[in-house]
Amino acid sequence: MPRGQKSKLRAREKRRQAHAETQSLEDAQATGAAAAAGESPSSVYPPFEDRPQNMPAAGTPSTPEGPQGTTNASAAVSCTNSDEGTNSQKKESSKSFKGTEDLRRDPLHMKVALLVHFLLHKYQKKEPITKSEMLKFVIKKYKYHFNEILKRASEHMELAFGLDLKEVDPTRHCYALVSKLDLTSNGTMNEEENPPKTGLLMIVLGVIFINGNCAPEEEIWEVLNMMGVHAERKHFIYGDPKKVITEDLVKLKYLEYRQVANSNPPRYEFLWGPRAHAETSKMKILEFLAKIHDTVPSAFPFWYEEALRDEEERAQARMAARARAAAMASARSRAMASNFSQAT
Amino acid sequence: MQGSTRRMGVMTDVHRRFLQLLMTHGVLEEWDVQRLQKHCYKVHDRTATVEKLEDFINNINSVLESLYIEIKKGVTEDDGRPIYALVNLATTSISKMASDFAENELDLFRKALELIIDSETGFASSTNILNLVDQLKGKKMRKKEAEHVLQKFVQNKWLIEKEGEFTLHGRAILEMEQYIRETYPDAVKVCTICHSLLIQGQSCETCGIRMHLPCVAKYFQSHSEPRCPHCNDYWPHEIPEVFDPEKEREASISKSNKRSLRSRQH
Repeated sequence: MPRGQKSKLRAREKRRQAHAETQSLEDAQATGAAAAAGESPSSVYPPFEDRPQNMPAAGTPSTPEGPQGTTNASAAVSCTNSDEGTNSQKKESSKSFKGTEDLRRDPLHMKVALLVHFLLHKYQKKEPITKSEMLKFVIKKYKYHFNEILKRASEHMELAFGLDLKEVDPTRHCYALVSKLDLTSNGTMNEEENPPKTGLLMIVLGVIFINGNCAPEEEIWEVLNMMGVHAERKHFIYGDPKKVITEDLVKLKYLEYRQVANSNPPRYEFLWGPRAHAETSKMKILEFLAKIHDTVPSAFPFWYEEALRDEEERAQARMAARARAAAMASARSRAMASNFSQAT
Repeated sequence: MQGSTRRMGVMTDVHRRFLQLLMTHGVLEEWDVQRLQKHCYKVHDRTATVEKLEDFINNINSVLESLYIEIKKGVTEDDGRPIYALVNLATTSISKMASDFAENELDLFRKALELIIDSETGFASSTNILNLVDQLKGKKMRKKEAEHVLQKFVQNKWLIEKEGEFTLHGRAILEMEQYIRETYPDAVKVCTICHSLLIQGQSCETCGIRMHLPCVAKYFQSHSEPRCPHCNDYWPHEIPEVFDPEKEREASISKSNKRSLRSRQH
């Protein structure tokens, strides 16, 4: 059943990634070649044409911090490539690239850079990051160096992008990127910046979906407690979680919070708010849940079917809207044409 | 830039905020980028003069260089709008997609990409893509699911859909040009004018050279008799207009004025 499939897929993935890994080093300097060849001036690596191919070992620390040490690596890349020139000689240059001392001295730098790419990608998608994801997609065989790679990557994230990598869930090794710049004095959302789709909201939307699109408050807290988020406890990212989900996200129309009918003492339940319906979808939330459990949406066939149905309805609604817009546009142009002919 | 000592740029919160916002949007048009830049200055450094965009970006790129990242500028293939995105320089293939999509979904993208590159128009029909569903690596995918996956690619700005046909989004071209040129060196098409990857464009019917639509527009601007730069035969296609951001803004302003007039009449 699924397990057999999964391990087959994993083995195939491992083989592909192993191949891709050896490719990535060659491709990295090949990309450098194209950049050095000068197609887009802003990406030219410094062409130190007079430097010898093997950089002298003296003076450079074993774990160079910041751009200084890495400039050597990229300069070495460009120097071998500007000699070779074009992409077509990639094969030759890859051999000399692998012989360059600098990258051998700091093989972790490439992994640090790739991890930064990965973290930025997750930031872009507003998704939290798990340690297992990082190991699987980036670190791979360097897993014993995970802590060091992570530390260096976090420093780059902070210095270059003003993003703090914070561990949100220590038990499941789940991280989130928080902007150090977002702390406006009055806390209001700037019109330029998107409202935060935090991991917290995604989790709550997920619980609601799985509970048949309406979840009792107790259920929500059961799940959040497992992540280390508690109603009465201040959270270093979310602040007051109870206020966030029962007030802030409700005000922003992401959630609906209502009393369960005829409940005495009053109990409450959560539903998706109109903005959640507009800005995300059941499929997207299911994908998020699947990722947390390191699997794929179709592993939850019941919810997957519901999510697919939801996608179809949305597609049909989009087509209907487009048809309406087209009809209105042609009606308008007909009206304008008749006005014009009347005027002349 | 050749031969000069490279000055390491200085990053301030202005630049960091700019990067954060650029990433949040994924890919942005030039006028949006300029607005964003001004906004970042307003938030973090009101008194400073807003640096020229090109220098501002070069400054940032000089710092990001060691991380194999840069802000790359491109031009949309259909109407010549300048666009900007933060791209990775040292990754292979479609690894930005690798963590977002399952193996069979990535293979579907690869199949679509191949069809797009091989096509004459730069577009691959939905039908042709879906017919390849049986050949995908990984878990078996039904055509229904594949339709949904294609929509995911559109939403994530990897593909554009026009009337049931798919081509590459400008962002995908920015990010993947290197990968595409390395992976399909024989099938790939290149613009005679700018030498960049060409997916959509016009071609000379006599000698076969190709040009991007915006490159055609610029090259043949104010030419009464457009001729092929390679074989000198008449250029048989309609010459598009050069993209003019000023005209665009005026047009949208006058459109919104008309709208408000109409509503006032009622």
